[in-house]
Amino acid sequence: MKTTYVIIAAIVVIAIIIGGVFAYISLSSSTTSSNNATPTPSPSPSPTASATATPTATPKPTTTVSPTSTVTPTFTPTPTASPTLVPTITPATLNGGGGTLVAPLMSVWQGAYGSVEPQITVNYNAEGSGAGITDFKNQVVNFGESDAPMTTAQYAALPSGTTALTIPISASAVVPAYNLKLLNGTVCQNGLNFTGAVLANIFLGTVTTWNDASIQALQSPAVAAQLPNTPIITVHRSDGSGTMFAFSNFLSDSNSQFKTTIGESTTPNWVTTSGGTIAAPKNAGVAAAISGNNGAIGPLEIAYILENTGQTSIYYGTVENAAGNFILANVTNIAAALSAGASTGLPAGSASWTSVSIVDNIFSNTSATTVYPIATLTYALVYQNQTPSSITNAASAAALVNFLQWVVSPAGQSLGSGLGYVPLPANVVAVDTASIDTITYNGGAPIV
Amino acid sequence: MRFRLLRGDVILKILLAAAALFVIGVVVGLAVELFLGSAPSLFKFGPSFLVESKWQPSNNVFGAWPFIYGTLVTSAIAIVIGFPISLGIAVFITEKLKSHLTFGYLLGTLVDLLAAVPSVIYGLWGVFVLIPIIRDYVERPLSKSLSYIPLFSGHPFGYDFLTAGVILAIMVIPTMSAVTRDVLSVVPNSQREAMYSLGATDWEATQKSVLPYARSGIFGAFILGLGRAFGETMAVTMVIGNIPSVSSSLFSPGATLSSIIANQFGESSGVFQGALIELGLILFFVAVLINGLARLLLWRMTRATHAKA
Repeated sequence: MKTTYVIIAAIVVIAIIIGGVFAYISLSSSTTSSNNATPTPSPSPSPTASATATPTATPKPTTTVSPTSTVTPTFTPTPTASPTLVPTITPATLNGGGGTLVAPLMSVWQGAYGSVEPQITVNYNAEGSGAGITDFKNQVVNFGESDAPMTTAQYAALPSGTTALTIPISASAVVPAYNLKLLNGTVCQNGLNFTGAVLANIFLGTVTTWNDASIQALQSPAVAAQLPNTPIITVHRSDGSGTMFAFSNFLSDSNSQFKTTIGESTTPNWVTTSGGTIAAPKNAGVAAAISGNNGAIGPLEIAYILENTGQTSIYYGTVENAAGNFILANVTNIAAALSAGASTGLPAGSASWTSVSIVDNIFSNTSATTVYPIATLTYALVYQNQTPSSITNAASAAALVNFLQWVVSPAGQSLGSGLGYVPLPANVVAVDTASIDTITYNGGAPIV
Repeated sequence: MRFRLLRGDVILKILLAAAALFVIGVVVGLAVELFLGSAPSLFKFGPSFLVESKWQPSNNVFGAWPFIYGTLVTSAIAIVIGFPISLGIAVFITEKLKSHLTFGYLLGTLVDLLAAVPSVIYGLWGVFVLIPIIRDYVERPLSKSLSYIPLFSGHPFGYDFLTAGVILAIMVIPTMSAVTRDVLSVVPNSQREAMYSLGATDWEATQKSVLPYARSGIFGAFILGLGRAFGETMAVTMVIGNIPSVSSSLFSPGATLSSIIANQFGESSGVFQGALIELGLILFFVAVLINGLARLLLWRMTRATHAKA
C-alpha cells in the first residue's frame, strides 16, 4: 500500500520535471516574441567606454544612423584605414557557430573587437561548417559560418519567408604538403612541382611511387634525378572540412575520373591507394601523419603551415595554375587568386551562392598568370531581416551589422595575415559591404 | 494515514525513488532520441545498413559494417593484450605483495592513475611515441617475415587496427586490474589456508583456489574492460587511420563506430546525419546487449557457486 503511494508520487515528480523541461525548451525555442519584443535599452553605465556612443542615446539605434556611417566599398585592404561602423549603444551578445577553418582567426577577432566595442560580446562555437549551417537554419545563432557555400537543399530548408545573406569573411588556400627523403639522403624542401592532374592520379592511386615518370616530368632535371622509388602514402582529413572541399574541387576540375570516383565534397569518397592511405582528424592530425611517414603527401591549409613554420618537417609543393606557371602559395598570390576569382562576378549576398567557387572561377583563367589555383573563401551566414527572438533584438541586430562591418574592414582583415589568412580583396569586400548594408531589424529600414 | 505520508521518511523515499527513476528516464530518452534521429537512414536502408560495407557520404551510400568490424577487431586486440596483464597485476598485488602492503598500495594507485589520464593524451602519445615504435619494431619485422599470413599482410605505417588495439589495451588495464584486485582481495583467507594446509605452493593456492573462487568477479572485470574498449573514441580516432575498410590485415587502417561519429558529425546533415546517429544507436544496443549478457552469466555463475556451497 505504502509502496504504491511512493511509486505514484515518484512518477508524478518525474512527470513534472520532464514536462517542465520540455515545456521550457519548446517555449523558449518557438515563439519568444512576447518576452523579447521590447529591446532592453539599459543605458550604459560608462558611456566613455564606447567610442561610438552618441550623447543622444535612444533605445532605437536603428533610426539614429547618420548617412556617413556606411563603409566605403572601394578601399584597399591597408591596416591604417579605420572604418566608420554603425553606432551601437546597448550591450549585446552575438552567438555564432560554424567552421573550424576560421576558428583561430575568430578568436583573434573576438579579442580585438572587444577593445573596439566593449559593449558587444561575440561568442563563437567552432562546431564545423555543417553544424554551423544547421544552427543557422534553426535560428539558434546570430550568425552561422561555413567553409563551403550552402547547397540548394540547404537553402530550401531555411525557414520560409527568410532571406539568407552569404558574406565571405576570410580566405585561405590548400597546399600539397609532403615528407620525402631524397636519394641523396636529404629531406625534400618546399617547391616540388605538381599539377592538378598528377595530384588527382596520386589520390586515385594510379601514381604510386615518387619517381613516377609523370612526377619526374614536372621537376627540374636535378630534382627529378633525386626522386626515390618510395611508395606514396596518401593522407587526408578524417573529418568533414572546407579544406577537403577546396582540394577535391580543384582535383575534380583537373581530372574527370577523380570527379566521378572521389568527387568534390567536404567528405569526399577517398580511395585506399596501394602505398597506403591515412585519414587523420583536423589539420594537426594530417600534419602529424605526414611528418611521421616518409613518402606521405596530403592537403594542408596554408594557415596551418605558416603558423608552424620551423616547427615541423613538413614542406609543400607548387601547383600549376591555368597559365601553366608553378606557384608556391603565399599571401600575395592567394589574394591575387581571390581577386581574379571574384572579378568574374560574385552573386549578391541574398542570392544563391551554391555554385560559387574561386577554384572553378580561376581554373581556366589563363590571363591570371600569378595566381595560386587552390584558394577558398569562408562565409558568414546571416538573415537579411533580423526577426526578434530569444537571441535577436534591436541591440543584437545593430551589433551584428557593426561586427560584420568591422570584420570585413581593413582593421579586421589585417589581423589574419599573421595567421596565414589572406585579407579579402577590394572586389569581395565591396560585395560584402553591399550585403551588410541590406540587413534590417524586424522588417524596418536597413540598419546602416 | 494521510499525515503519515508527509513524514520525512516518506518524503526522502519519494526523492530517492525519483532519483532512481531519473536514470531510467535518461536511458529511455536516449534510446528514443537515437531512434528518432536515425529515422532518415533507418527507413531508407533498413537492415542492409548493418552489412553494407560502403561508406560514401557524398554519394549518399552508407553502411555500418566497416565500423562494426573495426570496433570488434580493436576491442578484441585490446582484450587479448590487456586481460592477461590486468590479471597479472591483480594477482601480483593481492597474492605476492601481501607482506609489502605499502608497495602494493603504491603500485595499485599508479595503475589506477592510468585511468585518470584523459584519452586525448593517450592519442597524442600514440601518434608521436607509440606509432613509430610499433611501426618500426613490431610491424615491419612481422610484415617482412610473416607477410604470407593474412593477419600480417600489407604495407605497415602505424595507423592501423593493431596500434588502436594496443592503445585500447593500455586504457582498459586500469579498469580491469582494479576490479580484479578488489575481487581477489575479498577472497577469504580460509580458502588459501586450506590449500596451504594440503601442502600447496603459492602458485597452486592461487591457481586452484583463489582464481576459481573469484572467477565471476574476474569475468565482470573482463566485461567492464570490453565496454570501455567499445566506447573509447578520441585516442582511437587519432591512431586508427580512419579509413572505412574491412581488411583481414592488422596493418590496415580502419575506423570504429565511435571514431566515425566523432570525425564526421560536425559536417553532416540529412540522411548522412541520420546514418551517423544510427551508428550511435548500434553502439548503444551493443553496449546494452554486452552488459545484459554479462549480468546474465554473472548471475548464473554466482547462483551455481552458491548452490555448491
